[in-house]
Amino acid sequence: MKVINIILLFLFFLINHNIHSHNPEDFMIAEIERGQMNFENEQIALEYGAALKRQRIRRLSAMPFIKKFYIFVKAGFEHIIPQGIDHILFVLGLFFSCMTLRALLWQVTAFTVAHSITLILAAQGLVQLRGDIVEAIIALSIVWVAVENCLYKETSRWRYLIVFAFGLLHGLGFAALLTQYGLPKDNFISMLLAFNVGVEFGQLAVLLIAFILIKLFLKKNWYSDEIKIPASLMIAIIGLFWFIERVV
Amino acid sequence: MKRLILITVLLFVVSCQQESKMNSTINPFFQEWNSSFQVPPFLDIKDEHYMPAYEQGMKENLDEIDEIVNNAEVPTFENTIEELERSGKLLSKVGRVFSNLASSNTNPSLQELQRNLSPLLSAHYDKISLNEGLFNRVDAVWKNRKNLDLTSEQSKLLNDTRKGFVRSGALLSEAQKERISEINSKISGLSTSFGQNLLAETNGFELILDKNDLDGLSEDVIAAAYDAASQKMDKTDSDEEKEKYNNKYVFTPHRSSMYPFLTESTRRDLREQLYNSYVKRGDNNNETDNKEIAAQIAKLRAQRAKIMGYKTHAHFILDDNMLKTPEEVYDLLIKLWKPAVKRAKAEVADMQAVAYAEGHNFKIAAWDWWHYSEKVRKEKYDLDESAIKPYLSLDNVLQGVFNTTNKLWGLNFTEIFDIDLYHPDARIWEVTDKDGSHLGIFIGDYFTRSNKRGGAWMSSFKGQSNLDGVERPIVVNVCNFPAPVGDNPALLSFDNVVTLFHEFGHAMHGTLTNVKYGSMAGTSGPRDFIELPSQLLEHWASEPQVLKSFATHYETGESIPDELIEKLLNASKFNQGFINTEYLAASLLDMDWHTISADDDIKDANNFELASMKNVGLIGEIAPRYRTTYFAHIFSGGYSSGYYSYVHAAVLDSDAFEAFKEAGDVFDSNLASRLRSSIYSKGSTEEAMDLFIKFRGRKPVIEPLLKVRGLDGSE
Repeated sequence: MKVINIILLFLFFLINHNIHSHNPEDFMIAEIERGQMNFENEQIALEYGAALKRQRIRRLSAMPFIKKFYIFVKAGFEHIIPQGIDHILFVLGLFFSCMTLRALLWQVTAFTVAHSITLILAAQGLVQLRGDIVEAIIALSIVWVAVENCLYKETSRWRYLIVFAFGLLHGLGFAALLTQYGLPKDNFISMLLAFNVGVEFGQLAVLLIAFILIKLFLKKNWYSDEIKIPASLMIAIIGLFWFIERVV
Repeated sequence: MKRLILITVLLFVVSCQQESKMNSTINPFFQEWNSSFQVPPFLDIKDEHYMPAYEQGMKENLDEIDEIVNNAEVPTFENTIEELERSGKLLSKVGRVFSNLASSNTNPSLQELQRNLSPLLSAHYDKISLNEGLFNRVDAVWKNRKNLDLTSEQSKLLNDTRKGFVRSGALLSEAQKERISEINSKISGLSTSFGQNLLAETNGFELILDKNDLDGLSEDVIAAAYDAASQKMDKTDSDEEKEKYNNKYVFTPHRSSMYPFLTESTRRDLREQLYNSYVKRGDNNNETDNKEIAAQIAKLRAQRAKIMGYKTHAHFILDDNMLKTPEEVYDLLIKLWKPAVKRAKAEVADMQAVAYAEGHNFKIAAWDWWHYSEKVRKEKYDLDESAIKPYLSLDNVLQGVFNTTNKLWGLNFTEIFDIDLYHPDARIWEVTDKDGSHLGIFIGDYFTRSNKRGGAWMSSFKGQSNLDGVERPIVVNVCNFPAPVGDNPALLSFDNVVTLFHEFGHAMHGTLTNVKYGSMAGTSGPRDFIELPSQLLEHWASEPQVLKSFATHYETGESIPDELIEKLLNASKFNQGFINTEYLAASLLDMDWHTISADDDIKDANNFELASMKNVGLIGEIAPRYRTTYFAHIFSGGYSSGYYSYVHAAVLDSDAFEAFKEAGDVFDSNLASRLRSSIYSKGSTEEAMDLFIKFRGRKPVIEPLLKVRGLDGSE
């Protein structure tokens, strides 16, 4: 059967000879000399992903700086909304934990500073940690923050430290995504910055939306226990589910 | 507020769904392509769109033919030949996209489609080429050609069109036509068997080795052989078969498996075994033997040629080529043969010296060639590929080839970033002429991937024509260069660079073309001519001045050192005796098989081959590139009496480049513009030999080729 296919294939190319200038029979002869083509979907997908990244970098390098900057801000934003659902939950976890706006701002700042540090270090290849471990701990960090919300009424002092530590991990997560996405070599630092700016915008947007929704629709304060406990529980359950999924 | 959001979201979802539904029902082949430069809308084309478009395309094509045939007016050039040119637009629209993607970005469903389409298309084109009414009209125009005041391009088109019908048998009697179709179907059956047998024979032999049979083999080769054995294990369910391959190493007569083994293995007995399995394919006196089949095919072809009014099959085939008679082909081959064999004998002597020095006392045999030539290569022509690659990043090489055509013809290439192609590795440029006008579109798809066929080729997504307004072409080069690792740039070998220039030469032939009738555009010329524009461009790649201009180190930015260039160019002379001898032997064998007369009865294909090779004086250490029983190019493919084309084109390109050498400037502007006006822009609007003479001022000579290949006795 195989051979019939090859012969038919050859006939096909012969008929199309006016289209192919390069000796069409070479295909048939190549089949005889090299054997049949082997399609492996996994391999094809892998090659496609790498090609997409190359294409993105080529296209970026041809763009004016402002456009590139905008694209990376956008990419950073999109890595929070809608792609970074785990980061969204983490930030929401922080949101529901805080009694005051001041506490919230401090925690978010600690988180931001931390993930910026590791994002920059990891993107330059200075820090590396296995992706699956990072992902699992990120899930765990969500559970931690949410559970803490349920157990303690007030945020403890060492909480900032823990948020900072988790921030370092989330930064590694962003970096992994960014490397997949690809950074142009000639504007490395500025695009890294742009990406980070986008991430911050995304984060702020999450907080803002949460604030507005609760204020507008429920006409309640976000630190009310009526919302804080069930919301945190939900977040904890989802985080736990991810943790199990990522470990198993 | 809530409700408002809900309604908006719902509306959005519904509209999205409708849009996607609409997309799946519209077949892009039935629409005008309004994309910039009419690049096919690849993202909208789905596998299921091809078949309906093909069916509709064939139907429209036949309707158009009927219309031409049933035209009540007297046949004229305009209402017959030009209308024929205009016909089949949809078929060509879908055919170009499909035949390209079925090679460069294929999948099992496209391959299946290809198998189903093949007999349909072949029947379709038969309906046209055997249409008597159509031929009568064409013939009527042709008979009246003296009174028509045609341009030279038009009269060539008229002649070619008529000739196509005649070569399909239009002038024969009914009885003769019947006999031809009988012969054709016999030949096609035999060709199929030939290919089947060859594949069975190639797959049928394997050298299964133990750990202690691997002397001399490198780690990569051993790993590949081990993988081959594991794959065999995975494919079988029987325990016995599994045991056979368990922890073993498999080599086969596939070239990719055989050559590394013959080169590296120090086990002479095993080299002999594998080599013999290769050269004996189709010659084992079993049920898959090809000797009888080959002889029958040759005889049937001779009979067909006789009915068509030609002396032999070679005469019939060559009538359409640049070299017109077997005498011209033989003359060329024999002229090259002597220096090639002389050089090959010197190579044997070099290898023999190495073998003696190693303390062996055997005579170098055919299965020793790869092993000992590699030793000679290391000694005389050693070239460290890894030292060269950093200078040859794909982007640099592309810049190099663009600059070359810029210096020759003033072309400019502007990469386009906002058009999506069929794969993200495919890149697209607009080509503009020296006055800034649009010339065409160039697509380059360079990296290897699992859904691309092997090898390298040029093709087009849109042809060139000036019949109804100006249509500029979209051409594509497809190669199989290794993809870059990680974020590093893609680094090419020098062989890759030559391939890139070669395919780019075809692309220029397809881009600079400027003819009225699409069927004569670009690369439509005879087989022994169309490799001239491609092979010619290769010469610039090896020109030190050009190489130095683009080969800069991707990290340091330094130009390639002179010493490395010298080594590189020297290495191209390695083993030329062998390469040319085996190739010429096969070309001569091809010619011998196709100059037999219809009455010749060849009893034994092996004796025929032996006599043919003895006649010309082939040395025992070399077999023809293809022996009769596995010469698929000529017995199963379309190369009969055409295998010589490669070297013929090489004669042409070496001689053409020599003109630049003689001028003392590889970018001499007069020569460059003559090259463009007489060859690259002309398609097949004139006889190929006339085109060459227009450029060179005389017929081609072989001396420049001998020099390029180191066969001029200077080595």
